[in-house]
Amino acid sequence: MARWRYVFVEALAGLRRNLMMSLAVVLSVTVSLTLLGASLLLSEQVDLATDDWTGKVEVSIFLCDDRTCPAITTQQRQKLQEDLEAQPVVAEVFYESKREAYDRFTRLFADQPTLIEAIDVSTLPASFRVKLENPQLFGVIKDQFSAYPGVEEIVDQRDVLNQFLRFTTLVRNGALIIALIQLLAAGVLIANTIRVAAFARREQTAIMKLVGASNWYVRLPFVLEGVIAGALGAALSWGLLYFTVPRVTRDLAREVELLPFIGLDQVIAIAPIMAAAGIGIAAVSSILALRRFLQV
Amino acid sequence: MIRLHEVTKAFKRGRDGEVVALETVSLEIAKGEFVFVVGPSGSGKSTLMRLLTREQVADAGEVWVAGKNLKKLRSWKVPLLRREIGYVFQDFKLLPNKTVRENVAFALEVIGRGRRDIRDRVPEVLELVGLTDKAGALPHELSGGQQQRVSIARAFVNNPRLLLCDEPTGNLDPATSVGIMKLLDRINRTGTTVVMATHDQQIVDSMRRRVVELEDGRIVRDQVRGVYGYGA
Ligand SMILES: Nc1ncnc2c1ncn2[C@@H]1O[C@H](COP(=O)(O)OP(=O)(O)OP(=O)(O)O)[C@@H](O)[C@H]1O
Ligand SMILES: [Mg+2]
Repeated sequence: MARWRYVFVEALAGLRRNLMMSLAVVLSVTVSLTLLGASLLLSEQVDLATDDWTGKVEVSIFLCDDRTCPAITTQQRQKLQEDLEAQPVVAEVFYESKREAYDRFTRLFADQPTLIEAIDVSTLPASFRVKLENPQLFGVIKDQFSAYPGVEEIVDQRDVLNQFLRFTTLVRNGALIIALIQLLAAGVLIANTIRVAAFARREQTAIMKLVGASNWYVRLPFVLEGVIAGALGAALSWGLLYFTVPRVTRDLAREVELLPFIGLDQVIAIAPIMAAAGIGIAAVSSILALRRFLQV
Repeated sequence: MIRLHEVTKAFKRGRDGEVVALETVSLEIAKGEFVFVVGPSGSGKSTLMRLLTREQVADAGEVWVAGKNLKKLRSWKVPLLRREIGYVFQDFKLLPNKTVRENVAFALEVIGRGRRDIRDRVPEVLELVGLTDKAGALPHELSGGQQQRVSIARAFVNNPRLLLCDEPTGNLDPATSVGIMKLLDRINRTGTTVVMATHDQQIVDSMRRRVVELEDGRIVRDQVRGVYGYGA
């Protein structure tokens, strides 16, 4: 017990002795992990947006329901389905009734009750959801079926989605690259700090080695010093995401309808990854920094 | 306790120069012995000591300490070897911000000894070195002789089988040195093997113990009840 206290006391004393340096380490870990966390969350967002519905459907043919045009008749619908199935560029056709559209919507936006309250079973139009042999051939479908009676609108889902995805992926990759560079810089900074700390305490360390303190025991205070700084940085950056991300996505969800957004759950889910990254980078760079310095 | 067989240790100097600090040195020291290692500056005394604690590794030959072949000793076992060896320096090497008691206790804390163990053992050793009343003092409040006593207390607190002293009286006046020698003698009488490197002719002559003399890294004399120089 006493020996563990020693390790902690030494590590904290080391952090305090070189407060400016410790602060720099914590901040640099914070910056890099915030970026890392942000890029992880963007990936989550992309996955969420490409979920079963948006991901599989390429073309939606919305059917009239008396709102903007006279409701489609059963005959018209059957004719439309037969012609769609006969069209060679079409790979698959599903019919989605108003009820099914409503169910899917409530499933997708389960965490946004205000959105669900705003609609009922009659609000969303029924549609044919069409998968194409070649997604580029959207024009063929549009030309052929736009004029069909009972067809309200034909929408290329990929178009909407692609724009969004391309942008998010770009931002995510950018954030990821900067995060990794920052993380590397944080690692170098940690290594340097630990080396300075070890140098400042070289006499004590020399005595410890001479009286037979085990190698890990000599090193542990220094490694812990780095790890505490790393963990602190991880906690700070996670806290930052915890308070900002749900706010931002809530605002976005208000602007961009019909697209699910990530929330607190996803931020909580990445906590272990961020902690592991912060502690891991700190531990690895501390150990590397000490490898030569504290050799027996 | 100690056995050196044709041990050679050289250091690089400059680009391709080399200094041979020890050359084919063979030496045996039995358990409980008191041995002086003498010789001019640069003759290899400290290097010999460092080989015994495995701070340095011999280039050739074998070094055995406390039944262990140091060349084959795994690096994680080195601390265990050092727990059987006490080490005293010329310049004391006390931690300046720790009291006498804390300096001594430190040697036990960092090898994981229990708190009760430490509480029992530290006063015992401080009494042995005659510093009971200075337990709460900081090193800079002590005389050189007193500081060296602390350093000996720290080296001895874990009951090592072997005590290595590298010029322990080098910074002390003759009268103080005599006190330190009495202390080392007392420790030796408890069964601890003592090896002491020194330049101090008076001490060696007065103690009449075994003397090993080094010159340019070779043993030139090994005398059972020796004196410092030849012919004295
Ligand atoms: N770490 C080292 N690197 C290079 N050369 C060294 C090293 N240690 C010792 N030497 C050299 O080895 C030789 C022996 O040194 P050592 O310190 O053993 O002598 P010594 O007998 O203890 O001398 P002194 O009485 O001055 O303490 C010297 O020439 C010294 O310069
Ligand atoms: Mg020397």
